[in-house]
Amino acid sequence: MKESITHKIIGDLSKNDEAVEKFIAAGDKDLLIDFSACTFISVSGLEWLESMLLKAGSGKVNVTFIELSTTLYKVFKVARIESILSACGSPAASSNSAAC
Amino acid sequence: MATTVTEQDLGLMDQVNSLARKARLAAAVFTQYSQEQVDAIVKAMTIAAIDAAQDLALVACEETKMGLVEDKILKNLVASEFQYHQIRYKKTVGIIKEFPEDNMVEVAEPVGVILGLSPVTNPTSTIIFKSIACAKTRNSIIFSPHLMAADCSNRAAQVVYEAALAAGAPRDFITWIDKSPRLRRITELLMVHPQVDLVFATGGTHMVKAAYSSGKPALGVGAGNTPVYVHKTANITAAATDIIISKTFDYGTECPSEQTLIMDSEISELLLNEFKRLGCHICSEEEVDKVAQTVIDERTGSMNYKFVGQPAKIIADHAGFAVPIDCKILLCPLIGELRKHKLVVEKLMPVLGCVTVNSEQDGINRALDINYAGGTGHTAGIFAADDDNIIEKFSQAINAGRIIVNSPTSIGGLGGVYNNLHTTLVFGCGTGGGNITTDNVGIGNLLNYKRVPKRSNFIMTFQTTKNIYINPGSLDHLRGVKTGVTFIVTSKSAAKRGHLAMVMERLPSQTRVDTFSEVGAEPDFNVIKRAITMMRQSKPDTIIALGGGSVMDAAKIIRLFYEYPDLKLNELAVNFLDFRHRLVVFPQKTTVQLVAIPTTSGTGSEVTPFAVLSMDQRKVSLIDECLLPDVAIIDANLTKTLPKELTVDSAFDALTHAIESLVSAYASDYTDGLALEAMRLIFEALSPVLDNPGNVLLRHKLHNAACLAGMAIGNASVGVNHALAHSLGMIFGIPHGKANSVFLLSTIAHNAKMPRKFTSISSYPLWIADEKYARAAQFLNLPVEKKTNGKLALAANIENAASVSLDAKDIIRDQREARKQLLIQALSRAIFDLLEKCGQAKSISELGISEDDFKAKLPDLVALAFNDLSLRTNPSFCLQADIAQLFIDSYPPRTRP
Repeated sequence: MKESITHKIIGDLSKNDEAVEKFIAAGDKDLLIDFSACTFISVSGLEWLESMLLKAGSGKVNVTFIELSTTLYKVFKVARIESILSACGSPAASSNSAAC
Repeated sequence: MATTVTEQDLGLMDQVNSLARKARLAAAVFTQYSQEQVDAIVKAMTIAAIDAAQDLALVACEETKMGLVEDKILKNLVASEFQYHQIRYKKTVGIIKEFPEDNMVEVAEPVGVILGLSPVTNPTSTIIFKSIACAKTRNSIIFSPHLMAADCSNRAAQVVYEAALAAGAPRDFITWIDKSPRLRRITELLMVHPQVDLVFATGGTHMVKAAYSSGKPALGVGAGNTPVYVHKTANITAAATDIIISKTFDYGTECPSEQTLIMDSEISELLLNEFKRLGCHICSEEEVDKVAQTVIDERTGSMNYKFVGQPAKIIADHAGFAVPIDCKILLCPLIGELRKHKLVVEKLMPVLGCVTVNSEQDGINRALDINYAGGTGHTAGIFAADDDNIIEKFSQAINAGRIIVNSPTSIGGLGGVYNNLHTTLVFGCGTGGGNITTDNVGIGNLLNYKRVPKRSNFIMTFQTTKNIYINPGSLDHLRGVKTGVTFIVTSKSAAKRGHLAMVMERLPSQTRVDTFSEVGAEPDFNVIKRAITMMRQSKPDTIIALGGGSVMDAAKIIRLFYEYPDLKLNELAVNFLDFRHRLVVFPQKTTVQLVAIPTTSGTGSEVTPFAVLSMDQRKVSLIDECLLPDVAIIDANLTKTLPKELTVDSAFDALTHAIESLVSAYASDYTDGLALEAMRLIFEALSPVLDNPGNVLLRHKLHNAACLAGMAIGNASVGVNHALAHSLGMIFGIPHGKANSVFLLSTIAHNAKMPRKFTSISSYPLWIADEKYARAAQFLNLPVEKKTNGKLALAANIENAASVSLDAKDIIRDQREARKQLLIQALSRAIFDLLEKCGQAKSISELGISEDDFKAKLPDLVALAFNDLSLRTNPSFCLQADIAQLFIDSYPPRTRP
């Protein structure tokens, strides 16, 4: 199991975070991304997270999102991007809910 | 930069997926926006739309070759300025509505990704309208424009989107499908795309039908075919002007616009002359045929789309007759059978059918003909001065989501100009048009509403008889009672025991007294009716109920039906789940005074709002505050001669009242005090009074106990014990007090156990029946086995220590539980011992019911008990299996607990 490092997103996430990309490029440590100081996420931010997770997967770097506010977690839930939800530890969406 | 799909080299699904994904991400990001951010975006979009209203109208007319630029400008302004005026202060984020009386709030949740279809007739205004509505509700929208209007529609989308983006809106929250031969197919694929949450369809019938068939939630419109009834009371000039304004608006492209006029014969000539004066052409019979051949497609029977939104002159030219260049409308009198006339359908052009009628009924019926010729649910109009009559009749008959009164139906239907309807370009048509709503569709339809009801507890009250005279000798109160005519309801035994004479001699000397002595045990309604017949002669101002529970219950019902003869007993007796929601409404007040004088110490009926009587081989219970007597006289002198058996039966009835009301789901601090004191008095006095039946002090305690327990059940009700006893009493003819006695030990054991199923009563949040039984034992100072007392002292010491370990807390909990069980056991033992001392049956077998009879009747016993109202307030929910087990447990002889 790799050693892990924590990186905090501060303020709006509206573009790529270079520090995160460097960690992933190095590939020697798993990454915990701390969203406790993240105040807003844009469409570009979502797109970057998805592409970043794709790269991390290729480089065998485990990325985990932590300290998510409910507002941001709801954004991820509504966006329905599987890799992002997986990084949050969210269960896979089910389309076979029983009706009452 | 606006997002468009222009990559022609992408496969069709790539385009579809790309549009859907962009909209999905935008919808997700939009969830973070505050009301202030949303409102700023909406304002910026509105300003941009107003600025572009004229340009967009021009390109719309150029591309579609339909309608009038000036009117399309107005539509664009309605979609922007008017809509903004209506929604600017509306809350669409967070808590949007509060219902303080219901202790509830409503929270908005965006719909998500919307696929918006727009029509050729309103290609830019619809886009403006839907875009602003989506921004206000934080939804993203993908526009699918009509192929014949795609360029102008998409330009409108671009205008408002760019303004929104500049104001901080999420990227791609508005996207659109570019004009191409694949537009229709892309739309079809999007309609069923998993990322699309709602289809918002405005357009031709086929498109709307496709939207509803997509399997997605859909908002759509239906076809219109607006009938307008011009009543004889209408202002002719104003009506003609409004109809012309409406029918010429954008050359008739608005779907709520007038299609056929129905004119009362008294004014039809005047009205047609007025139309002529104002520049319309009244077609001859021959011209009507020509118009019909021109504007109606022979193959489909519907309007010919070539003439949608064209001026009257062009249509007349094509039809082959001349009209002035500025002719406003071609008015076509529809001769012959209306339903079969070609022009009876929707005509989105300045062609207007008209028909003359000879009566209001005929007028409304002909309007219905038009309404049901393809326009149900959409729009109708009426011009009339008589607001209270004809308009109401018309509105009741016509099936239309909007019935426009004394104004143009097209602009009137848009809302906000001639009335206060919600501004819209999407006219819901309800089920008549195959839609989910009849609304003027707008922001209210683009939200999910999350209702957040907080727990509402039943407001508990305490009610009882107002004046209660409570000491031995209090019968003397009758000497001062204000009455001219008194009607005494009693039983034959009251005379025998001398009670009737005691009452008569105390009533004021001038009082006229009539007596009804026919009430026996468990009277039926025939007895009540006989008493009422007698009362009609007597006309009393006071009723005195002198006797036991049956007499007092009968008197309550007699008073009710005497004063309200139209009441129906079977309705009053309808069972209910919750007192607050029950079907029946009892009268609010009674005028005849009811004085209740109990001669037994059991039911407490003198202070309860209950009355029981027999009806069709079953007992029915009436429950209402209006049944409460006005005065109760609790004079123990009347019970001195009560036989032993009756004394015991009634005392155990009262004890059961006290025990059941104590643990009832509706118990309160008020009823608890009464129940506990009633129990104490019975334990104290019942056994001694059997040896000394003439002791007034002991009788006084039992009489008060019954009254206190009556007040307790009058407010907290009873429980499963009574349900079982009613059932046993009804099937085997067992007196109520005896029937109660045989179940007491079983029902206490049952209710003291953790329920198999909790009862769902909002004011009973915690199951505490076991605690209540233990509390009763403590209150009664009953002896408890001492085997754990040492440990309890230890537990108390541990609890008082500064720091308590988890293990110690476990010990405390265990010891408390053990103590509670001992107290419950003490209560059960005390009841067992009291039953024993009184010689009262403790089990069903002791009542002389054979085991075979009991087993044979068990299903009936269970069914009857399960339907008993008493179960509603039991502290645990009793399943049928529980009830059966309680019966079975109560059959064999008992041993001391």
